[in-house]
Amino acid sequence: MNVPGEAKKIRRRSLESRGLTEPALVRWILTGSMLLFLALFLFVPLASVFAQALEKGLGVYFAAITEPDAISAIKLTLLAALISVPLNLLFGVAAAWAITKFDFKGKSLLITLIDIPFSVSPVIAGLVFVLIFGLQGWMGSWLQVHEIRILFAVPAIVLATIFVTFPFVARELIPLMQAQGKEEEEAALVLGASGFKIFYRVTLPNVKWGILYGVILCNARAMGEFGAVSVVSGHIRGATNTLPLYVEILYNEYNFAAAFAVASLLAFLALVTLALKSFAEWKVREQISVD
Amino acid sequence: MSIEIRNVSKIFNGFKAVNDVNLTVPSGELVALLGPSGSGKTTLLRIIAGLETPDQGSILFNGVDTTRRDVREREVGFVFQHYALFRHMTVYDNVAFGLTVKSKKNRPSKSEISDKVHRLLKLVQLEQLAKRYPSQLSGGQRQRVALARALAVEPQVLLLDEPFGALDAKVRQELRRWLRKLHDEIHVTSVFVTHDQDEALEVSDRIVVMNRGKIEQTGTPEEVYDSPANPFVYNFLGNVNLFHGRVHNGAAKIANISIDLPEYRQVPDSAAVAYVRPYDIEISRTRHSSDEIEANVRHIQGAGAVARFELERLDTLEVIEAELTKERYRELDLRAGDKVFIRPRNLRVFLGDYQI
Repeated sequence: MNVPGEAKKIRRRSLESRGLTEPALVRWILTGSMLLFLALFLFVPLASVFAQALEKGLGVYFAAITEPDAISAIKLTLLAALISVPLNLLFGVAAAWAITKFDFKGKSLLITLIDIPFSVSPVIAGLVFVLIFGLQGWMGSWLQVHEIRILFAVPAIVLATIFVTFPFVARELIPLMQAQGKEEEEAALVLGASGFKIFYRVTLPNVKWGILYGVILCNARAMGEFGAVSVVSGHIRGATNTLPLYVEILYNEYNFAAAFAVASLLAFLALVTLALKSFAEWKVREQISVD
Repeated sequence: MSIEIRNVSKIFNGFKAVNDVNLTVPSGELVALLGPSGSGKTTLLRIIAGLETPDQGSILFNGVDTTRRDVREREVGFVFQHYALFRHMTVYDNVAFGLTVKSKKNRPSKSEISDKVHRLLKLVQLEQLAKRYPSQLSGGQRQRVALARALAVEPQVLLLDEPFGALDAKVRQELRRWLRKLHDEIHVTSVFVTHDQDEALEVSDRIVVMNRGKIEQTGTPEEVYDSPANPFVYNFLGNVNLFHGRVHNGAAKIANISIDLPEYRQVPDSAAVAYVRPYDIEISRTRHSSDEIEANVRHIQGAGAVARFELERLDTLEVIEAELTKERYRELDLRAGDKVFIRPRNLRVFLGDYQI
């Protein structure tokens, strides 16, 4: 006796006859083609990264990722993310707070400016920094006289990373805060709360999951950024190579096993990001739906 | 605390939301700002609260100019249309908020806060729900939490924006009566905004009818309902029939009826419109005098305390609404299609050719 299964079938047939669902063949084709697409463009490349990385055995894998140059690249990547993410968190929250809770002149201009890093190619962004801080650039000679190294050194890498990642937190928060409106803040204001207390006790708790979501995306981009960083880094091994740049160097040297081993670190990071992102997304939806 | 509004105007992008409004709310009164959407009533309420600054004019609390005073120092309670409860806080924390954000110097102790919050929750009949979150409450419950939260800081003035707008009809009725009772107990000067005439008539001490940023009339519910100042108020408060006619040197001729209007003696000749409430339409089966108007009964709605009629004038084919008591309805024994004679009483005549 398979009563629940039968009931399901009958229900589906009645849905089909009312035109509320598609016939089985169409459903299978649609779902199947989607899965095929996912496999081809996501799962196969991901699996191949790990397969290639482990091709010559675990020994080679761990040797590749614990080599001094690799360690230095990991450290630099972490440092760049550690500086740029908190700064962009601060900027993003401030910008979203200003844009969604206050009216001022030039608001739409500010929103457009925030989007610039999204619309400009990262290579161009890198070139801008070369034009400013390079020897032939605006500040080049002054920097040389005072012996301050920015270009082809850590400061330029951090600056480029900040530039490329600064829209992420703001872009995530603005729609969320717009959807929530400013009535709760007004209510707090009438009840006598100061600006800081309103922000800390009303605004912040309402957007905390949105902030986490923005930070995760911002961090993922900060660690994975290639174009802008590539232009300003100078590719000095053990000094100005981030993880993505280091992968490229190893690959160009036909050192495939090592290249894929380091790449697998980035792939692993992507997977962790994805998991965290889904969790944060789910929490954000919860926050919006409570009206 | 009394509120005085002097020559207040507010312009949004060239649109005069509030246009030179003057109004005085005596201490302890419950006043309704009544008007259609876009009439500026919510803007005026927000100006009183300090959430908007007027472009012109001033607001006085107890005779003291508070126009430039910060919202935080005005000691007003504001209940928002969609309640604006803090969604991440429990009912208890919502109500306690105004007390817990006070500066250390003025903040009551934890136990004092707890006592007060529980007292307020008892007042709004939500004691058992203190630990719930706003998303777990019904609309009516949220509304009462919002009210308790506003009352926690002991405001001198209570302002409510469409307090019952988002609730279903039954809950609305209950809350209206409850608000009236509450006001009679605590007697805080209150202003509430509504577009619902029944709400304004039932709850308030005084009604301020607004239209296009201006005040059309101010008065007790009886005053504005029984003697509207102008056609707008007539139309906005209750159903009304229009009879077109002319005024000539102080005598009006509306349909077959002649009326003396000494106040229009200076008017040589003008179009005029008479306004008559549905319950001021007399209906009879036979003609008694020459000034009655012939009409056909188109539709009868007999359910309820009064019987409602839709009549069609035979001369102009205009539709007229009338209301009869149940006894009169039975006495006449009317059916749809019957021919009747109608006679309006208590006509209010305004000059001009006002159209609804």
